[in-house]
Amino acid sequence: MIMTQLTRPPRVLAGILSAVLVLAACSGGPQDAPLEVEIMQVVGQQVKQRLKRQPERPPVTRALLDSLDETYIEVTIEDDGQRAYLQPQLVKQDSTPGQVTVWLTEDAVTLAMRNGVLTATRGLRNDMLSASALVHEGGSVMGPAGGATGARRYEFAALDNRSQVFTLACTVSDLGTETIEIIELTYQTRHLQERCESGPGGESGVVVNDYWIDSRSGQLWQSRQWAGPTTGYLRIRQLTL
Amino acid sequence: MTSSRRYTFRRVWPSLAGPGTSGFSAAIIAGICAGASGAVAQDAAPAPGFATAAQVDNFDAPSLEPPAAPGLNFYGTPGLMDTPSAEMLPDGHFATTFSWFGGQSRYNLTFQALPWLSASFRYNGIRNLNLFGFNTYYDRGFDVRFRLLRERRYLPELTMGLQDFAGTGVYAAEYLVATKRIETPPLRFGGAAGRSPGQLKVSAGLGWGRLGSYGAVGNIGGKRPSFVGGGTGGNLSYDQWFRGDFAPFAGIEWQANERWSVKAEYSSDAYVTETRISNVFERKSQVNYGLEYQWSKTTRIGAYYMYGSELGITAQFQLKPRHPIIATQVPAPAPIVPRSQWATKEEHWSQDWTESEYKRTRFRDLVAEGLKPHGLILEAIDLKGTEAEVRFRNPRYRSYAIAVGRVARTMALTLPPSIETFRIIPVRSGMGLSTTVIRRSDLEELEFSPEASDGLMAVAAVTGAGPLPETAIFSEELYPAFTRSISPYAAPAYFDPARPFRLDVGVDFAAGYSPAPGWRIAGTIRQRAWGNVQDGRASNSVLPHVRTDQSFYAQYGTTLENLYVDRSWQPRRNVYARLRAGLFESMYGGLSGEVLWKPVSSPLALGVEANYVIQRDYDQRLSFRDYKTFTGHASAYLELGESYQAQVDVGRYLAGDYGGTFSLFREFENGFKVGGFFTLTNVSAADFGEGSFDKGFYFRIPLGWLLGKETRNAYGLTIRPIQRDGGQRVGGVGGLYGDVRTAHRRSLRAQRARFWK
Repeated sequence: MIMTQLTRPPRVLAGILSAVLVLAACSGGPQDAPLEVEIMQVVGQQVKQRLKRQPERPPVTRALLDSLDETYIEVTIEDDGQRAYLQPQLVKQDSTPGQVTVWLTEDAVTLAMRNGVLTATRGLRNDMLSASALVHEGGSVMGPAGGATGARRYEFAALDNRSQVFTLACTVSDLGTETIEIIELTYQTRHLQERCESGPGGESGVVVNDYWIDSRSGQLWQSRQWAGPTTGYLRIRQLTL
Repeated sequence: MTSSRRYTFRRVWPSLAGPGTSGFSAAIIAGICAGASGAVAQDAAPAPGFATAAQVDNFDAPSLEPPAAPGLNFYGTPGLMDTPSAEMLPDGHFATTFSWFGGQSRYNLTFQALPWLSASFRYNGIRNLNLFGFNTYYDRGFDVRFRLLRERRYLPELTMGLQDFAGTGVYAAEYLVATKRIETPPLRFGGAAGRSPGQLKVSAGLGWGRLGSYGAVGNIGGKRPSFVGGGTGGNLSYDQWFRGDFAPFAGIEWQANERWSVKAEYSSDAYVTETRISNVFERKSQVNYGLEYQWSKTTRIGAYYMYGSELGITAQFQLKPRHPIIATQVPAPAPIVPRSQWATKEEHWSQDWTESEYKRTRFRDLVAEGLKPHGLILEAIDLKGTEAEVRFRNPRYRSYAIAVGRVARTMALTLPPSIETFRIIPVRSGMGLSTTVIRRSDLEELEFSPEASDGLMAVAAVTGAGPLPETAIFSEELYPAFTRSISPYAAPAYFDPARPFRLDVGVDFAAGYSPAPGWRIAGTIRQRAWGNVQDGRASNSVLPHVRTDQSFYAQYGTTLENLYVDRSWQPRRNVYARLRAGLFESMYGGLSGEVLWKPVSSPLALGVEANYVIQRDYDQRLSFRDYKTFTGHASAYLELGESYQAQVDVGRYLAGDYGGTFSLFREFENGFKVGGFFTLTNVSAADFGEGSFDKGFYFRIPLGWLLGKETRNAYGLTIRPIQRDGGQRVGGVGGLYGDVRTAHRRSLRAQRARFWK
């Protein structure tokens, strides 16, 4: 079922509104648009977005996934259930341990993960600008290093064009083996849990990230990771490799 | 979903396709959605298999929310109803409140300028006062509050306040008040999740003036000069402060949870003028009661029972400049692909391309096209074998840091591998504002580093913008360029005793033409659709009527708002200049010149502005009146740190008066600006008229802060308690400092976190 939380004004109203917009405010040329024009544009976009019907989506089945050649992950924002399917845009190595993969949605949101550990978001509100990760050298074993302890530094876009840094003390513990299912396929995984708490003097809070890593291949199949105070937790599943 | 979730920001993954994603969109649409047009579903069923024993949710995580703000009283400062408490708002908060009881309405603006200092402006109306020649008496006043002691474990917070401390002083009062806060257990009712504890706040104080008019327990300095309405006002009433009778007052507030609070107070205000001299309402008791509800993050409403006879209401809006109503959302940029991944052969790194004009033009066009999805405009590019300089216009981003970041990304994705040094120069009105020098390999290395922002700032340099290199190639799309816009306008007029707020609304038709960099010819035709400014009162000023004939100008509905030729250029490094000739604004035209010295890393800037102006005819077409004058100023601008700025302008004003203007502003990094100014000139208080000298305050709310969208626009308002003719300046000229400052080193460094956004 498709749920929209937005109320829907009558279409007639929207028609009139857009006519008024066209008549009342417009600008062109390489300059800053006047204030009133921009307000009208934003109002117009809001109205358009509210009127747009969310398309019905066929259920994602393994048969459908098997017909695809591309790699996909599925990401769900836990707090409101919004879901998107992402493809890798870039894989790269820098001088920090681990391998970075940038995943892209259709609507210009990207998630950067270092060995599967979320370290940056772009295109969301109060983006995670950067984060450190407790990962292994190299990209073969994904997720955080089991038994690792250390600080994770999160930097979020916030305040007045500045950022807010949270430095949390983290411990990764192994919760044993678990069998998980992702769209008709089951995997034997080790469940690693990274528990992070703010130190004295810092912003108080607890963050718990969970990772389910293939017992044999080291592939990260599923995770639940914090993307920041505004976005909350993301549920991430690897659909295809 | 619990209702306290309304405190969190709305989360939206935009369903509009962003730049550079069409290939991926196509793949996803074809593959996953099987013909559906959006890849975002709102399926509320949770993905299975994520439940764990120690699961915590986002409520437990660190938060970006500012500390909770105290409720405000009828005068717009923290407190109960008519009496204050010792609490301060969180630093930088900007609160507007409306309160009403017994025919008395008060509109208040309060700005927490420093953690221990707040200032308020109030406009109030007292219906049926029937005194001083007015039926409804309107007045304006300023308050200031100082925190003397912070709250400690056993000690209360202590604050001193001066209420309505200048001018005619209908609400004049001084007080010392102490408040102690005690934590109470969290309660879950009335739409509150009960996650945060409640608070019991107990306040007690001593008041003078109005707050010493009931139940006085002592006296300092004998009889206090009493309030006389209708005087000139404008001067500090320091001869009254803490003089005369003083009386105790007290109050208690229980903030039960994050939504609800109940208040009770014992007021020491006898409302002498309103209940004894006049008959505005009947006062039967000194005890007032109230109930308040926090409607949303910014809005709080309250209902009250006042003085044993009247119902009262308040609406409180708390704006937090550092915390936007909606956090901005910018489409994600494409990540930088290191050259090591795509320039794999020796010949990719050759510099042969520099020989070919065709190839250089081609790279220019690639950069120009690459900037367009970011809303940026290429002005000129200079390409050398290992170095590239890009000059660009930024009509979209309030923060130059994000604009420079997007330009750097575009350059990294489009320019030949041999180019290692990027020089990035934002341009406004043809003037280069600053140069950010970045090594391309640093961009490639640092994008996903754990401390990307600080890391890049450490290796990037910000210097002044040099002259345009002779080898630079201009964009072919810019000169000559036409611009045009049609937009509604609103022109308000305030504080006429007969009608405190007047307004004209209509449509502006604007057009501009830029034949070459730095040149601009522009004009605006204004058509009024509706308005009542024309009914305003006629001026009684004894000075030349340089500003007070507003109602005469408002008689005409179709006007030429402005029409001018403008030239901006940089005579030398760190110096910016502008000349303008024509009709500057609705009241003045003439010739204007401005020169500004502002080194890219200096907190100090100096400027000179000189204008020869002629007053325009009331019909605001092409003719002029007889009044001509020379007006000009020397200005010093200083960045004081903590987002404070001071400005001093000394010179000759429109009415021919000489003097100086002193301004103090707080401008946040997102463009939110609050400040005040006053002007002292050689015009006497008697000649100046009501208010004695020119003063006012200013605020600017960036549109992006309200709407969560990247835009340079802002809503700005200057409010003067009274508009007179002394200390006035010509509008539509000047402004170089504001154009230049935000692209300089201090701003770029402070906003470095936006570079990678």
